[in-house]
Amino acid sequence: MPLPRPDPSAVKDGIPLFIPAIPFALVLGVAIIESAMPDEVGWSTNLFIFAGAAQLATVSLAATSTWVTLVLTAAVINLRHVMYSAALAPRFESQPRWFRWVGPYFLIDQLYVLSSAAAERDDDDWRRYYLSVGTLFFTCWMGTVTIGLFVGSAIPEEWRLDVAPAVMFAGLVIIGITTRPAAVAALAAVVTTLIALDVPNNGGILIGAIVGVSAGYLAERAIDRNDTSEEPAR
Amino acid sequence: MTTIAAITAVLSVGVLTYLSRAGLILFLAERPLPMQIQRALRYVGPAVLSALTVTLVAGSEGVGGVEFAEVSAIAVGGVIAALTRNLIASLVVGMAALWLVLLIT
Repeated sequence: MPLPRPDPSAVKDGIPLFIPAIPFALVLGVAIIESAMPDEVGWSTNLFIFAGAAQLATVSLAATSTWVTLVLTAAVINLRHVMYSAALAPRFESQPRWFRWVGPYFLIDQLYVLSSAAAERDDDDWRRYYLSVGTLFFTCWMGTVTIGLFVGSAIPEEWRLDVAPAVMFAGLVIIGITTRPAAVAALAAVVTTLIALDVPNNGGILIGAIVGVSAGYLAERAIDRNDTSEEPAR
Repeated sequence: MTTIAAITAVLSVGVLTYLSRAGLILFLAERPLPMQIQRALRYVGPAVLSALTVTLVAGSEGVGGVEFAEVSAIAVGGVIAALTRNLIASLVVGMAALWLVLLIT
Protein backbone atom coordinates (compact mmCIF):
# COMPACT_ATOMS: atom_id res chain seq x y z
CA MET A 1 0.00 0.00 0.00
CA PRO A 2 2.04 2.96 -1.26
CA LEU A 3 1.33 6.06 0.77
CA PRO A 4 0.56 8.95 -1.55
CA ARG A 5 2.53 12.18 -1.33
CA PRO A 6 0.54 14.95 0.40
CA ASP A 7 -1.29 17.25 -1.97
CA PRO A 8 -0.36 20.91 -1.35
CA SER A 9 -3.77 22.14 -2.59
CA ALA A 10 -5.32 20.22 0.32
CA VAL A 11 -3.68 22.64 2.75
CA LYS A 12 -4.76 25.69 0.73
CA ASP A 13 -8.39 24.44 0.63
CA GLY A 14 -8.47 22.86 4.06
CA ILE A 15 -7.17 25.62 6.34
CA PRO A 16 -9.95 28.15 5.54
CA LEU A 17 -12.52 25.45 6.38
CA PHE A 18 -10.72 24.46 9.56
CA ILE A 19 -10.68 27.96 11.06
CA PRO A 20 -14.48 28.01 11.74
CA ALA A 21 -14.10 24.61 13.43
CA ILE A 22 -11.55 25.92 15.96
CA PRO A 23 -14.08 27.14 18.56
CA PHE A 24 -15.92 23.83 18.22
CA ALA A 25 -12.72 21.91 18.94
CA LEU A 26 -11.91 24.16 21.91
CA VAL A 27 -15.41 23.77 23.35
CA LEU A 28 -15.07 20.01 22.96
CA GLY A 29 -11.78 20.11 24.87
CA VAL A 30 -13.46 22.04 27.67
CA ALA A 31 -16.43 19.65 27.63
CA ILE A 32 -14.06 16.68 28.00
CA ILE A 33 -12.72 18.27 31.21
CA GLU A 34 -16.27 18.97 32.48
CA SER A 35 -17.54 15.52 31.46
CA ALA A 36 -18.53 12.75 33.85
CA MET A 37 -16.19 10.56 31.79
CA PRO A 38 -12.53 10.21 32.75
CA ASP A 39 -10.50 12.74 30.73
CA GLU A 40 -8.53 10.06 28.87
CA VAL A 41 -11.72 8.32 27.74
CA GLY A 42 -13.19 11.66 26.66
CA TRP A 43 -10.03 12.46 24.73
CA SER A 44 -10.07 9.04 23.05
CA THR A 45 -13.26 10.10 21.22
CA ASN A 46 -10.87 12.00 18.89
CA LEU A 47 -9.46 8.69 17.73
CA PHE A 48 -12.46 6.38 17.96
CA ILE A 49 -15.23 8.71 16.84
CA PHE A 50 -13.61 11.67 15.03
CA ALA A 51 -16.90 13.50 14.46
CA GLY A 52 -17.30 16.79 16.34
CA ALA A 53 -21.03 16.82 17.09
CA ALA A 54 -21.15 13.13 18.03
CA GLN A 55 -18.08 13.56 20.26
CA LEU A 56 -19.55 16.59 22.00
CA ALA A 57 -22.86 14.77 22.55
CA THR A 58 -21.04 11.70 23.89
CA VAL A 59 -18.96 13.54 26.47
CA SER A 60 -21.63 16.02 27.56
CA LEU A 61 -24.44 13.45 27.91
CA ALA A 62 -22.29 11.13 30.03
CA ALA A 63 -23.43 12.74 33.29
CA THR A 64 -27.18 12.42 32.78
CA SER A 65 -27.72 9.46 30.45
CA THR A 66 -27.24 5.74 30.38
CA TRP A 67 -24.95 4.58 27.64
CA VAL A 68 -27.87 3.31 25.55
CA THR A 69 -29.44 6.78 25.16
CA LEU A 70 -26.03 8.27 24.63
CA VAL A 71 -25.14 5.83 21.86
CA LEU A 72 -28.54 6.17 20.17
CA THR A 73 -28.32 9.98 20.25
CA ALA A 74 -24.85 9.96 18.71
CA ALA A 75 -26.06 7.46 16.10
CA VAL A 76 -28.90 9.80 15.10
CA ILE A 77 -26.51 12.76 14.94
CA ASN A 78 -24.34 10.70 12.63
CA LEU A 79 -27.15 9.92 10.20
CA ARG A 80 -26.06 12.86 8.07
CA HIS A 81 -22.91 10.91 7.28
CA VAL A 82 -25.10 8.38 5.49
CA MET A 83 -25.94 11.16 3.03
CA TYR A 84 -22.27 11.91 2.48
CA SER A 85 -21.53 8.22 2.10
CA ALA A 86 -24.32 7.85 -0.46
CA ALA A 87 -23.18 10.91 -2.40
CA LEU A 88 -19.51 9.86 -2.54
CA ALA A 89 -20.10 6.12 -3.08
CA PRO A 90 -19.77 6.35 -6.90
CA ARG A 91 -16.43 8.14 -6.49
CA PHE A 92 -15.17 5.29 -4.30
CA GLU A 93 -16.24 2.48 -6.63
CA SER A 94 -13.13 2.50 -8.82
CA GLN A 95 -10.76 3.00 -5.86
CA PRO A 96 -8.49 0.32 -4.35
CA ARG A 97 -10.01 -1.85 -1.66
CA TRP A 98 -7.80 -0.53 1.20
CA PHE A 99 -8.92 3.01 0.46
CA ARG A 100 -12.60 2.05 0.47
CA TRP A 101 -12.07 0.82 4.03
CA VAL A 102 -9.77 3.60 5.28
CA GLY A 103 -11.27 6.60 3.47
CA PRO A 104 -14.69 6.66 5.22
CA TYR A 105 -13.02 6.98 8.63
CA PHE A 106 -12.07 10.57 7.74
CA LEU A 107 -15.44 11.52 6.20
CA ILE A 108 -16.26 14.66 8.22
CA ASP A 109 -18.45 17.48 6.90
CA GLN A 110 -15.57 19.58 5.58
CA LEU A 111 -13.95 16.65 3.78
CA TYR A 112 -17.28 15.85 2.15
CA VAL A 113 -17.56 19.42 0.87
CA LEU A 114 -13.99 19.57 -0.46
CA SER A 115 -13.80 16.09 -1.94
CA SER A 116 -17.12 16.36 -3.75
CA ALA A 117 -15.98 19.70 -5.19
CA ALA A 118 -12.84 17.92 -6.43
CA ALA A 119 -14.73 14.91 -7.83
CA GLU A 120 -13.59 15.54 -11.43
CA ARG A 121 -9.94 14.73 -10.60
CA ASP A 122 -8.69 11.34 -11.79
CA ASP A 123 -8.76 8.38 -9.35
CA ASP A 124 -5.21 8.61 -8.01
CA ASP A 125 -5.27 12.35 -7.78
CA TRP A 126 -8.64 12.41 -6.00
CA ARG A 127 -7.52 9.78 -3.51
CA ARG A 128 -4.36 11.75 -2.76
CA TYR A 129 -6.39 14.93 -2.25
CA TYR A 130 -8.97 13.13 -0.08
CA LEU A 131 -6.36 11.59 2.20
CA SER A 132 -4.38 14.83 2.41
CA VAL A 133 -7.44 16.84 3.49
CA GLY A 134 -8.50 14.03 5.83
CA THR A 135 -5.18 13.75 7.64
CA LEU A 136 -4.82 17.54 7.77
CA PHE A 137 -8.17 17.85 9.56
CA PHE A 138 -7.41 14.87 11.79
CA THR A 139 -4.13 16.44 12.94
CA CYS A 140 -5.50 19.97 13.40
CA TRP A 141 -8.58 18.61 15.20
CA MET A 142 -6.58 16.51 17.71
CA GLY A 143 -4.24 19.43 18.39
CA THR A 144 -6.98 22.00 18.93
CA VAL A 145 -9.11 19.72 21.14
CA THR A 146 -6.04 19.04 23.26
CA ILE A 147 -5.41 22.79 23.61
CA GLY A 148 -9.07 23.13 24.66
CA LEU A 149 -8.49 20.51 27.35
CA PHE A 150 -5.70 22.60 28.88
CA VAL A 151 -7.69 25.83 28.51
CA GLY A 152 -10.66 24.16 30.19
CA SER A 153 -8.67 23.00 33.19
CA ALA A 154 -7.04 26.44 33.61
CA ILE A 155 -10.29 28.44 33.61
CA PRO A 156 -12.13 28.61 36.96
CA GLU A 157 -15.55 27.01 37.46
CA GLU A 158 -17.32 30.38 37.89
CA TRP A 159 -16.86 31.08 34.18
CA ARG A 160 -19.47 28.36 33.55
CA LEU A 161 -17.80 26.93 30.46
CA ASP A 162 -20.11 23.93 30.94
CA VAL A 163 -22.78 26.04 29.20
CA ALA A 164 -20.66 26.43 26.04
CA PRO A 165 -21.74 23.15 24.36
CA ALA A 166 -25.43 24.14 24.53
CA VAL A 167 -24.69 27.62 23.13
CA MET A 168 -22.62 26.00 20.39
CA PHE A 169 -25.33 23.49 19.40
CA ALA A 170 -27.97 26.25 19.40
CA GLY A 171 -25.77 28.31 17.06
CA LEU A 172 -25.16 25.31 14.79
CA VAL A 173 -28.90 24.64 14.53
CA ILE A 174 -29.74 28.23 13.66
CA ILE A 175 -26.95 28.57 11.11
CA GLY A 176 -28.02 25.25 9.61
CA ILE A 177 -31.64 26.37 9.12
CA THR A 178 -31.81 27.57 5.55
CA THR A 179 -35.29 26.42 4.53
CA ARG A 180 -38.77 26.61 6.04
CA PRO A 181 -39.13 22.84 6.59
CA ALA A 182 -35.80 22.86 8.45
CA ALA A 183 -37.17 25.56 10.76
CA VAL A 184 -40.31 23.48 11.30
CA ALA A 185 -38.16 20.43 12.11
CA ALA A 186 -36.12 22.36 14.68
CA LEU A 187 -39.14 23.97 16.32
CA ALA A 188 -41.07 20.69 16.54
CA ALA A 189 -38.02 19.01 18.07
CA VAL A 190 -37.62 21.76 20.70
CA VAL A 191 -41.28 21.65 21.76
CA THR A 192 -41.41 17.84 21.84
CA THR A 193 -38.20 17.56 23.83
CA LEU A 194 -39.47 20.11 26.36
CA ILE A 195 -42.65 18.09 26.82
CA ALA A 196 -40.66 14.85 27.04
CA LEU A 197 -38.02 16.11 29.49
CA ASP A 198 -39.24 13.74 32.19
CA VAL A 199 -38.74 10.65 30.05
CA PRO A 200 -35.98 8.68 31.82
CA ASN A 201 -32.37 8.61 30.56
CA ASN A 202 -32.83 11.58 28.25
CA GLY A 203 -35.08 9.51 26.00
CA GLY A 204 -36.72 12.83 25.09
CA ILE A 205 -33.83 13.58 22.71
CA LEU A 206 -34.79 10.64 20.52
CA ILE A 207 -38.52 11.35 20.70
CA GLY A 208 -37.81 15.00 19.88
CA ALA A 209 -35.55 14.02 16.98
CA ILE A 210 -38.12 11.63 15.48
CA VAL A 211 -40.97 14.14 15.77
CA GLY A 212 -38.69 16.87 14.36
CA VAL A 213 -37.63 14.86 11.32
CA SER A 214 -41.23 13.83 10.61
CA ALA A 215 -42.43 17.43 10.96
CA GLY A 216 -39.73 18.68 8.58
CA TYR A 217 -40.53 15.98 6.07
CA LEU A 218 -44.28 16.67 6.22
CA ALA A 219 -43.70 20.43 5.98
CA GLU A 220 -41.61 19.93 2.85
CA ARG A 221 -44.34 17.83 1.25
CA ALA A 222 -47.02 20.36 2.21
CA ILE A 223 -44.98 23.20 0.69
CA ASP A 224 -44.37 21.18 -2.49
CA ARG A 225 -48.08 20.47 -2.83
CA ASN A 226 -48.94 24.16 -2.41
CA ASP A 227 -46.36 25.11 -5.02
CA THR A 228 -47.77 22.69 -7.57
CA SER A 229 -51.39 23.69 -6.89
CA GLU A 230 -50.50 27.35 -7.41
CA GLU A 231 -49.17 26.64 -10.88
CA PRO A 232 -51.48 27.89 -13.67
CA ALA A 233 -53.95 25.27 -14.90
CA ARG A 234 -52.88 23.40 -17.98
CA MET B 1 -20.84 6.85 34.70
CA THR B 2 -18.21 4.18 35.38
CA THR B 3 -15.03 3.98 33.33
CA ILE B 4 -16.16 0.72 31.77
CA ALA B 5 -19.51 2.23 30.78
CA ALA B 6 -17.71 5.28 29.35
CA ILE B 7 -15.32 3.15 27.29
CA THR B 8 -18.20 0.98 26.06
CA ALA B 9 -20.14 4.09 25.06
CA VAL B 10 -17.19 5.64 23.22
CA LEU B 11 -16.38 2.44 21.33
CA SER B 12 -20.04 1.86 20.41
CA VAL B 13 -20.40 5.41 19.11
CA GLY B 14 -17.11 4.93 17.24
CA VAL B 15 -18.31 1.79 15.48
CA LEU B 16 -21.66 3.41 14.58
CA THR B 17 -19.91 6.53 13.29
CA TYR B 18 -17.66 4.44 11.07
CA LEU B 19 -20.62 2.38 9.80
CA SER B 20 -22.64 5.48 8.98
CA ARG B 21 -19.72 6.77 6.92
CA ALA B 22 -18.57 3.50 5.36
CA GLY B 23 -21.77 1.46 5.00
CA LEU B 24 -22.93 2.69 1.62
CA ILE B 25 -19.38 3.04 0.27
CA LEU B 26 -18.52 -0.55 1.13
CA PHE B 27 -21.74 -2.41 0.51
CA LEU B 28 -24.19 -0.43 -1.56
CA ALA B 29 -21.93 1.51 -3.89
CA GLU B 30 -24.07 1.00 -6.99
CA ARG B 31 -27.49 1.73 -5.47
CA PRO B 32 -28.62 5.30 -4.68
CA LEU B 33 -30.64 6.01 -1.53
CA PRO B 34 -34.39 6.22 -2.09
CA MET B 35 -35.54 9.84 -2.60
CA GLN B 36 -37.89 9.65 0.42
CA ILE B 37 -35.03 8.74 2.73
CA GLN B 38 -32.75 11.42 1.30
CA ARG B 39 -35.48 13.98 1.98
CA ALA B 40 -36.04 12.86 5.56
CA LEU B 41 -32.30 12.77 6.29
CA ARG B 42 -32.08 16.49 5.55
CA TYR B 43 -34.06 17.23 8.72
CA VAL B 44 -32.02 14.99 11.00
CA GLY B 45 -29.47 17.75 11.71
CA PRO B 46 -31.85 20.51 12.80
CA ALA B 47 -34.11 18.11 14.71
CA VAL B 48 -31.57 16.15 16.72
CA LEU B 49 -29.33 19.12 17.50
CA SER B 50 -32.33 21.12 18.77
CA ALA B 51 -33.44 18.24 20.96
CA LEU B 52 -29.91 17.88 22.27
CA THR B 53 -29.64 21.60 23.09
CA VAL B 54 -32.88 21.51 25.11
CA THR B 55 -31.68 18.42 27.00
CA LEU B 56 -28.28 19.91 27.80
CA VAL B 57 -29.86 23.12 29.11
CA ALA B 58 -32.28 21.20 31.32
CA GLY B 59 -29.48 19.01 32.69
CA SER B 60 -30.47 16.28 35.12
CA GLU B 61 -33.19 18.25 36.95
CA GLY B 62 -35.72 18.54 34.11
CA VAL B 63 -37.46 21.87 33.51
CA GLY B 64 -36.60 22.94 37.07
CA GLY B 65 -32.90 22.79 36.19
CA VAL B 66 -33.17 25.52 33.55
CA GLU B 67 -31.27 28.63 34.62
CA PHE B 68 -32.08 32.17 33.46
CA ALA B 69 -28.41 32.85 32.66
CA GLU B 70 -28.18 29.77 30.44
CA VAL B 71 -31.35 30.63 28.54
CA SER B 72 -30.10 34.21 28.07
CA ALA B 73 -26.81 32.92 26.67
CA ILE B 74 -28.61 30.68 24.18
CA ALA B 75 -31.12 33.36 23.19
CA VAL B 76 -28.44 36.00 22.60
CA GLY B 77 -26.13 33.50 20.86
CA GLY B 78 -29.09 32.38 18.73
CA VAL B 79 -29.93 35.91 17.63
CA ILE B 80 -26.27 36.56 16.72
CA ALA B 81 -26.16 33.26 14.80
CA ALA B 82 -29.27 34.25 12.84
CA LEU B 83 -27.92 37.72 12.07
CA THR B 84 -24.29 36.90 11.26
CA ARG B 85 -24.40 33.17 10.31
CA ASN B 86 -21.08 33.03 12.12
CA LEU B 87 -20.54 30.34 14.74
CA ILE B 88 -17.57 32.05 16.40
CA ALA B 89 -19.48 35.33 16.83
CA SER B 90 -22.54 33.52 18.18
CA LEU B 91 -20.49 31.53 20.70
CA VAL B 92 -18.46 34.50 21.93
CA VAL B 93 -21.42 36.88 22.29
CA GLY B 94 -23.60 34.13 23.82
CA MET B 95 -20.99 33.38 26.47
CA ALA B 96 -20.48 37.11 27.11
CA ALA B 97 -24.23 37.39 27.72
CA LEU B 98 -24.00 34.50 30.20
CA TRP B 99 -21.23 36.21 32.16
CA LEU B 100 -23.10 39.52 32.15
CA VAL B 101 -26.26 37.90 33.53
CA LEU B 102 -24.27 35.97 36.15
CA LEU B 103 -22.56 39.20 37.15
CA ILE B 104 -25.73 41.27 37.63
CA THR B 105 -27.94 38.59 39.23
